[in-house]
Amino acid sequence: MRNRFWVSMVILSAAALAISIGTSAQNNSKPTWPEVDWHKPRITVQNQKPAPRRNIAGSWSTAAGPDAGTQAGGVQLKPNNGKPENALPYTPHALEVYKTHKPTEGVDAVPPSEHNDPRNFCEPLGFPRWNHYSLRFTQIFQDEAKIAMLYHYDNRWRIIWTDGRPLPKVLDGGVEIDGQFREQRWMGYSGGKWLDDYTLEVQTVGTMPEDRVWLDNTGRPLSDKLRVTETFRRKDYDTLEWSETIDDPIMYSKPFDALKMAFRLQDPHAEENENICSPKNYQLYLDAFGDDASKK
Amino acid sequence: MSKRLVVALNITLGLLIPIPVPLFAHHGSASYATDKQVVLKGTVTRWLYASPHLLLMLDVKEENGEVTHWVLESQSPTVMYPTGYRKDSFKPGDEVTVTASQARNGKPIGRIIDATTANGTKLGRLPAAATQDQPDVSVRPHP
Repeated sequence: MRNRFWVSMVILSAAALAISIGTSAQNNSKPTWPEVDWHKPRITVQNQKPAPRRNIAGSWSTAAGPDAGTQAGGVQLKPNNGKPENALPYTPHALEVYKTHKPTEGVDAVPPSEHNDPRNFCEPLGFPRWNHYSLRFTQIFQDEAKIAMLYHYDNRWRIIWTDGRPLPKVLDGGVEIDGQFREQRWMGYSGGKWLDDYTLEVQTVGTMPEDRVWLDNTGRPLSDKLRVTETFRRKDYDTLEWSETIDDPIMYSKPFDALKMAFRLQDPHAEENENICSPKNYQLYLDAFGDDASKK
Repeated sequence: MSKRLVVALNITLGLLIPIPVPLFAHHGSASYATDKQVVLKGTVTRWLYASPHLLLMLDVKEENGEVTHWVLESQSPTVMYPTGYRKDSFKPGDEVTVTASQARNGKPIGRIIDATTANGTKLGRLPAAATQDQPDVSVRPHP
């Protein structure tokens, strides 16, 4: 009798332990800090869900994979690779400014030790270069008055007002708002309006001057007379198409399209590693490696 | 670096499988010879897991007994995390194997293509950049 009691106890304990281990294993199988899923199934007619009205909020990853938005060689639709079809309509002034830029990417790249890319000093990229710098995972939040875009690189954010306010008037060295002279901004001043229930058009003016910002990694110039037009088209529940047109009469003789990229909706719980520019880390890089790599 | 090692490395190059040329968001591809890949077996002296790029420093013993100090970079932690690189992937003293593109100037400097850690874990290849000439308007899963 006594033996049967102890045998029963051992069996019960073993069962309890097995259940405990099983539960623990189940808990461990689901990540508590989930990452972006770069292997989501293709959107087809079978799994396509309708887009919500006037809503682009969500956690969006580049649909063509994690490298699709890198744009290291220049803006997506016009990489600076020397091909005639990708040549930008530079004004004479733009060419002069471009010659002063020393990028580490593109057809006119210089060795790392000779660069003067503001990015390499951890300066703000400025708008719209944020649209052309390692676009990978962008979070968008939205309320009745505005849309907030959280860029992954350097943890930068931007506000697009959708409350119908007018865009500022662009002046020399600043903008005019309600009769007052206001400062230029790294992100500019952005206003959006819905062209239809699924397409938001955003205009941005009042960005930083030519000595502070570049268009892309290859050193293409921008002026503070720039106007950027973006469209965000919610094609279906899981897909957002982000387009951008550059209109800068000081630098380019005609407008051109720079971006047309698809984004895939991610789990709202998903996150990515930080990618923050630290001047100290950058100097470590140069000390250990960067300058030496470029010596002949 | 000895001429003998350079020859050995160039022979190794011929055995390597070609990989797509990645486009970098940071310090430029111009410094590297993509046709000058080397396979290095060495001892880790430092591993820096931070932006802008991961840095791995290795002491590699050559055939003549001399030790060459290599400095190797990769991409940002964000880009390399999905391929397996972690803050604890390497530590000083680890014996590791790394395939890298060497600097054009022939210095012991390179860009990591792939690596095997001290415990035999194979870390993934550097992702190839998306084609930049084609407008990206399609929706397709990443392979």
